[in-house]
Amino acid sequence: MSSTNKSIFEKTTELSKLITWFDSEEFSLEEAIDKFKQAEKLAASIELDLSSLKNEIQIVKQRFDSEN
Amino acid sequence: MEKPQIQPIFSVSDFIAVVNQTLEYAYPSVSIEGEVASFKVSQGKFVFFDIKDKGGSVGCFMSVWQLRVPIEDGMKVIVSAMPKLTQWGKFSLTVKTVRPSGEGALKKSFELLKAKLDTEGLFAPERKRQLPTLPKHIAIISSTQSAGYADFIKILNDRWGGIKVDVAHVQVQGEIAPDQMIKAIDFFNQQELLPEVIVIIRGGGSADDLAAFNDELLVRAIAGSRIPTLVGVGHETDESLCDLVADVRAATPSNAAQILVPDKNEIIRSVRVQVGSLLPRILQIIDQQKIAVSGLLISAIDSVDRAIDDQTMRVSNLKNVLSQLDPNKVLARGYALVRGVKRIGSVIEIETTNNIMKAEVKNVINK
Repeated sequence: MSSTNKSIFEKTTELSKLITWFDSEEFSLEEAIDKFKQAEKLAASIELDLSSLKNEIQIVKQRFDSEN
Repeated sequence: MEKPQIQPIFSVSDFIAVVNQTLEYAYPSVSIEGEVASFKVSQGKFVFFDIKDKGGSVGCFMSVWQLRVPIEDGMKVIVSAMPKLTQWGKFSLTVKTVRPSGEGALKKSFELLKAKLDTEGLFAPERKRQLPTLPKHIAIISSTQSAGYADFIKILNDRWGGIKVDVAHVQVQGEIAPDQMIKAIDFFNQQELLPEVIVIIRGGGSADDLAAFNDELLVRAIAGSRIPTLVGVGHETDESLCDLVADVRAATPSNAAQILVPDKNEIIRSVRVQVGSLLPRILQIIDQQKIAVSGLLISAIDSVDRAIDDQTMRVSNLKNVLSQLDPNKVLARGYALVRGVKRIGSVIEIETTNNIMKAEVKNVINK
């Protein structure tokens, strides 16, 4: 679970960098389409990851009503 | 003939013991509501007070550590106690728990404890710790049957996933609730793999229902937790001491889930919008480039045109100058061209615009 979460975080960071590139001085029209395709792929992957994540809820066995 | 009844003869100690045995059998635990009077703490360990109403008064005794909420004279309370006859023959109540009764007493007790804990710095802003941005392991302390817990889990699942959620099912109302919550806090703090945050939640209720969250020992347990705490108890307008001591206070259980995790649906929307804006941006840049290129072309054509015009003008000026230098134009203005030797008697040739004449030099004078 945690690795998947981290992966989402990494992917969103990567996507942010890609989007920032479009506004940066490094922008070039020749690379733009490739970068756009990468961004589209990342976005789809993030959406899939987020949609498929489920929480793992567990009631602890320890009882808290006893004296000890 | 009736047999005479034999009455037992007790020693004083035995009699007290028998009375206590009888009392214990008849009233193993009794709850009594009344007003506190003559409240005092002796040697910092023992608490003495009377509980009274219009018709009577009974002495009470308890240990300081059993007193979980502050009380004072005049306050209406409910004591849970065991009646007892002391070895000096005084009847008293050995109190197990005491809690304020009625809105006024609850409020008074709340204010007294709040002031005390505030003086100790338990609510100080500098004590507050930040919650993890994206927790992967959280602990919940709540009643799994409560509406507040259900709200929290629903919002949590709607907003984010991939979290390990450990839930301690406890009472969140009544006399035993604070102790259960304290045990749950201790339990999570003793885990080998500590949760990143402890969330304590309970839905709305009356002041009496929420009184457990104003328990001094529970407040201290939250303050002492090495795991950051998030407390969401009651409704937005409810304020408990647990709220005040928590690292982060949520207005409601649902709000606790909102504070704890981001909304994945919001992230998905944001990602879509950001990526969706890229293609129009590329097209816009292409359009801008087109406009820039055609601007440069027009500028180049303008430059060539200007150069041609300049050259044409220059040629035209030169032509004008040249035309002024043409001898025929000078002759046309009435001048004549003289050819020959300037000597008396020599024949010279005179050319005008229309004629060429021969003439003899008669005289030569210097000017």
